Amino acid sequence: MTFWKDAGFSYLKYVQVASRALRSVLKEEAKVQALKREDTVLKVSRWANGKQGELKFVDPKNQH
Amino acid sequence: MFSTAASAKAVSFLAGPLSTQTAGMATLKEIQIRRRSVQNIGKITKSMKMIASTKVPKAQKIMESARVYGAASNGLFQHAQTDFADSKKPLVIAISSDRGLCGGIHSSVSKAMKADLRKNPESTVVVLGQKVKIQLSREYRDNIALHFEQVAKTIPTWDETAAIADIILEKAKEEGVDSAKIFYNKFKTIIAFETTSIPTFTLEALEASPKLSTYEYDDGVLANFAQFAFANTLYWAVAEGNASEMAAKRTAMENATKNAGEVIAKLTLTFNRTRQAAITNELIDIIVGASAM
Repeated sequence: MTFWKDAGFSYLKYVQVASRALRSVLKEEAKVQALKREDTVLKVSRWANGKQGELKFVDPKNQH
Repeated sequence: MFSTAASAKAVSFLAGPLSTQTAGMATLKEIQIRRRSVQNIGKITKSMKMIASTKVPKAQKIMESARVYGAASNGLFQHAQTDFADSKKPLVIAISSDRGLCGGIHSSVSKAMKADLRKNPESTVVVLGQKVKIQLSREYRDNIALHFEQVAKTIPTWDETAAIADIILEKAKEEGVDSAKIFYNKFKTIIAFETTSIPTFTLEALEASPKLSTYEYDDGVLANFAQFAFANTLYWAVAEGNASEMAAKRTAMENATKNAGEVIAKLTLTFNRTRQAAITNELIDIIVGASAM
């Protein structure tokens, strides 16, 4: 049950990976709808001492 | 066709009140140019309003479903009577977006954040959206730990919010955060929103809840639930903020179109008056000239 926790994944990362897997095996029309929910262009920037860090793309596939 | 320049010269040595006509005649073209540009602006704001009005119901639907998830996971906290102890390391999260032209949405969140930061100047700050980041980074640069851009670019999705939540949770663990508050715009009606904050609880706060013993659970479930609840609450706040933004954008563009219409009406009147004054002056020239012969 907690193989993913032992591997160092947080619950949210585990859920994201599992949802991706589910979406990829759906049938055609449901898949098209579901893939729309995967669309993300999110960017994150980590700040240190009041200085903005580099804006990095949050890649949903590369979770670790 | 009489040359307006010639008439202008002829009229220029007439006294007082008519000298304003000279200025009027010379700017007939200017008034026309201005009127045309305001008309174009009016067309743009009108189409922006149309676009925003089509986005509002969609955003509202997403918000309704997000509410259900958010309310469900927060229900546990309410029943278990989870609460913050004195928080020594608070985290505040601001929900906004990168888009402008939507009324007072972003400034409202910034104001609420600043008021909170004045009370707790040691808080760690996370900002979703460029607009509030710009406003907060003037005074509170040192508090900002993370900021996100391109949030909910098309629509808010749980997947994206979960990714954000995950990054925030990692950072919160690094900093030893013990409580979190999310500032967002709650969608009240299509013309009204309210900036409020909602608390989210850490695993420790959940475990310390007075009524937690009324629940039965397996080991490890609470940790998962705390993360899931945080993602739900964040998704709820992002969805509400998104709906408020679309509604505010619609209202702002509607007002802009209305104002543009008023400016056009005023300019049209000025233009007509100026044109008529020019014609009257030319007539005077002719009559005076004719009577002199």
